[in-house]
Amino acid sequence: MSKSNDSIQKIITVALALCIVCSVIVSAAAVLLKPVQVQNRTLNLKENILRAAGMLSTSPTKQEIEEKFATITPKLVDLDTGMYVEPSAAGYSSIEAFDQQRVSQNPDYSKSLSSGEDIAGIKRREKYAKVYIVKDGADISRVIIPVRGYGLWSTLYGFLALKGDGDTVVGLGFYQHGETPGLGGEVDNPNWKGQWPGKEVYDEQGDPAVKLAKGGVNPSSPDAKYSVDALAGATLTSRGVENLMKYWLGEEGFKNYLDRVRSGEAGNV
Amino acid sequence: MSEATPKKVLLEPIFSNNPIALQILGICSALAVTTSLQLSIVMGLAVVFVTAFSSFSVALIRSHIPSSIRIIVQMTIIASLVIVVDQVLKAYAYEVSKQLSVFVGLIITNCIVMGRAEAFAMQNGPVLSFLDGVGNGAGYATILVLVAFVRELFGAGKLFGVEVLPAVANGGWYQPNGLLLLPPSAFFIIGLIIWALRSWKKEQVEEAEYKMSAHKVKEAF
Amino acid sequence: MGLRAFLDKIEPNFEKGGKYEKWYALYEAVDTIFYTPGKVTSANTHVRDGVDLKRIMITVWFCVFPAMFFGMYNVGLQANTFLLENGLAMDAGWRSAIIAAFAGNDPGSIWDNFIYGAAYFLPIYFVTFVVGGFWEVLFATIRRHEVNEGFFVTSILFALICPPTIPLWQVALGISFGVVIGKEVFGGTGKNFLNPALTGRAFLYFAYPAQISGDAVWTAVDGFSGATPLSVAAAGGMEAINESLTWMDMFLGFQQGSVGETSALAILIGGAALLIMKIASWRIVAGVFLGMAATATLFNLVGSDTNPMFSVPAHYHFVMGGFAFGMMFMATDPVSASMTDAGKWAFGALVGVMTVLIRVVNPAFPEGIMLAILFANLFAPFIDHIVVQANVKRRLARV
Repeated sequence: MSKSNDSIQKIITVALALCIVCSVIVSAAAVLLKPVQVQNRTLNLKENILRAAGMLSTSPTKQEIEEKFATITPKLVDLDTGMYVEPSAAGYSSIEAFDQQRVSQNPDYSKSLSSGEDIAGIKRREKYAKVYIVKDGADISRVIIPVRGYGLWSTLYGFLALKGDGDTVVGLGFYQHGETPGLGGEVDNPNWKGQWPGKEVYDEQGDPAVKLAKGGVNPSSPDAKYSVDALAGATLTSRGVENLMKYWLGEEGFKNYLDRVRSGEAGNV
Repeated sequence: MSEATPKKVLLEPIFSNNPIALQILGICSALAVTTSLQLSIVMGLAVVFVTAFSSFSVALIRSHIPSSIRIIVQMTIIASLVIVVDQVLKAYAYEVSKQLSVFVGLIITNCIVMGRAEAFAMQNGPVLSFLDGVGNGAGYATILVLVAFVRELFGAGKLFGVEVLPAVANGGWYQPNGLLLLPPSAFFIIGLIIWALRSWKKEQVEEAEYKMSAHKVKEAF
Repeated sequence: MGLRAFLDKIEPNFEKGGKYEKWYALYEAVDTIFYTPGKVTSANTHVRDGVDLKRIMITVWFCVFPAMFFGMYNVGLQANTFLLENGLAMDAGWRSAIIAAFAGNDPGSIWDNFIYGAAYFLPIYFVTFVVGGFWEVLFATIRRHEVNEGFFVTSILFALICPPTIPLWQVALGISFGVVIGKEVFGGTGKNFLNPALTGRAFLYFAYPAQISGDAVWTAVDGFSGATPLSVAAAGGMEAINESLTWMDMFLGFQQGSVGETSALAILIGGAALLIMKIASWRIVAGVFLGMAATATLFNLVGSDTNPMFSVPAHYHFVMGGFAFGMMFMATDPVSASMTDAGKWAFGALVGVMTVLIRVVNPAFPEGIMLAILFANLFAPFIDHIVVQANVKRRLARV
């Protein structure tokens, strides 16, 4: 290596040249691949939604996802009143652009929860939430709501799909969590998820009644229709799932909206 | 390495001079991504790609790199390559890249890549350095795949996501071993691989740091 | 001295060049069980004493017996009580056939309970001994050293910290991991830095959490859930415990738990013998106890509205779960604990503090003594190092 390599001039030249070459490569990759990546992300979200609603085959093609998703309408709901609102109310130009995670962090569009209210362990709750509805004529046949809450180690993010009566479960699926594999991580187990369809979430008084029964559901118990088996060996994840269901189905969550779904009002879009 | 021949630089790192098993480098990502074979193979390929091309590029401009900023230059090249890999994975293997999450980005800090650039590519030609990068990446990938094979097979009863040992929960007989799904299990498996490798190739055994005095006995009675 | 003569006669077969050279390890093991080894170290300094490693280990083995016998009785008692209360018969299976052949199912009969427990515990112990012994002999044979008696202790301790209903293949897997990874990879007894029995137990704990923890595993009847006092306390606090158990119940050992850990009294009897014979270090035991008591009291004083474990007092921590067993038999393992006197205090205290911390603060693990001891094992050499360095410094200052 010649001595001139360590002259200031050479150092700056090499550094500059390298930076230019590398930045061109990196930005080219980022720009060229961006459309495909965005498409992947939205497709993934759509798949999660449809999967919760039980509308997909086991290994769906891209086309199937797009076709099925076209039958679903996204809507923005004001959680306090249960009424639909325009995306502009939350500061977004279109419903597609609405980012619930970001909204929940924005102090203008969310409120912080006291520890008494915050049974799901989410700290802040957004004012507006995006729901997905499937219509059958004028009536809603399915409604899919986003839910989240803290388990043992992490926040679980998922979708809960209910029938048009706003009470009977069609499916529940979590698409992001960091629970212990084999214990709390069993929320992903198809057998466990398979218990949810057909369960009811509200009792006669209209209060959320979902339960994760430790040691298994006793079929003769009057609560059996609200209960699924708790996850074996994962008390705290089970409790977390129960709490997040209670929260999002309660007054603070989607109860007002689901009441309107049940009465048929929400179908008049 | 006295004389570097293409065959030697390509094949030696796989068993004789394995970056993970002998040099104990790059362990961190080996813990995180080895829960499934698919992830490990993708991760292994990504590292092969990055090591090969970073070594190649560094070797190409090695006579022009000022020694005072050589680490930064190597880092920049490696980081750019890693970002490209990350972007490509996000575009064409979304599911995998989601599971690999930050660990693709962390290839930047993988000592193997940096180590080869500094130790080999700075002294050798581009073609040889490229092969050396491929070899070392492949050595890393080999261990990853071995670990993942054990972890996925016994931890989940699956290979490539297909059920091989039917699990009790699905009506089969196999009780999956939950420990193997947790990252620390990779330590045990890598340790056992190193043990096996050093029993096979004795020359890899390190010299003891101290020697116990010999146990001398005599009859007591 | 017929036996001595016989052993001497066959010895040449096992020595270098003999017919059974490979089996020397086995010969040596049998020989030294009956007789004090006929060899002494000649290099460096050494002390002559009638006690050697083998005698120590066998003494420990005997000292575990009270806890073991009570454990078997309690397994039977818990199961038979449940069967009687619910008017059930035993689950079909080979264990029940054995039990039925020798005894009935009367919870009031000591014999019946004992046989019931034995039918569950002895297979566990047998599998532990055979599988662990296999590894022990294998490594001794390959490495050409003697079989280490430490395994006597490891095997019984491991068997005693298993839940009675554990599947036997898991026992085999657990002890294999404990012996091979916990001990042999580091070169065998004396070179291991972890307690092998606890290593095996920890392996099972993380590998098969659904089978080895939870509520259904403690009573030897299918489908019966009996929570251990620790999980009861974690869920409902002191009130929940006092509903079903008194402190005296737990002290005597009438509670759910692993086979050998339930009775603090039986453990104290065996432990006292170990302390009197100076086999177990009283400094470690005291350190563990004080560490636990101090931390538990601290939590009592701090208090918490949401975590009922904060209110559990020290004397309850002492009798619940595996604390007493771990303190007496696990933490005092001379190989994996600290060696220096001051280090033993620190080591013990670390175990005690960590146990209560895990029990109270960590939401996922109701029991903490196992992880606490393994954790402290890792620190033992470091603690010794600090003690030695401090000593060196002090003495240098005097020069």
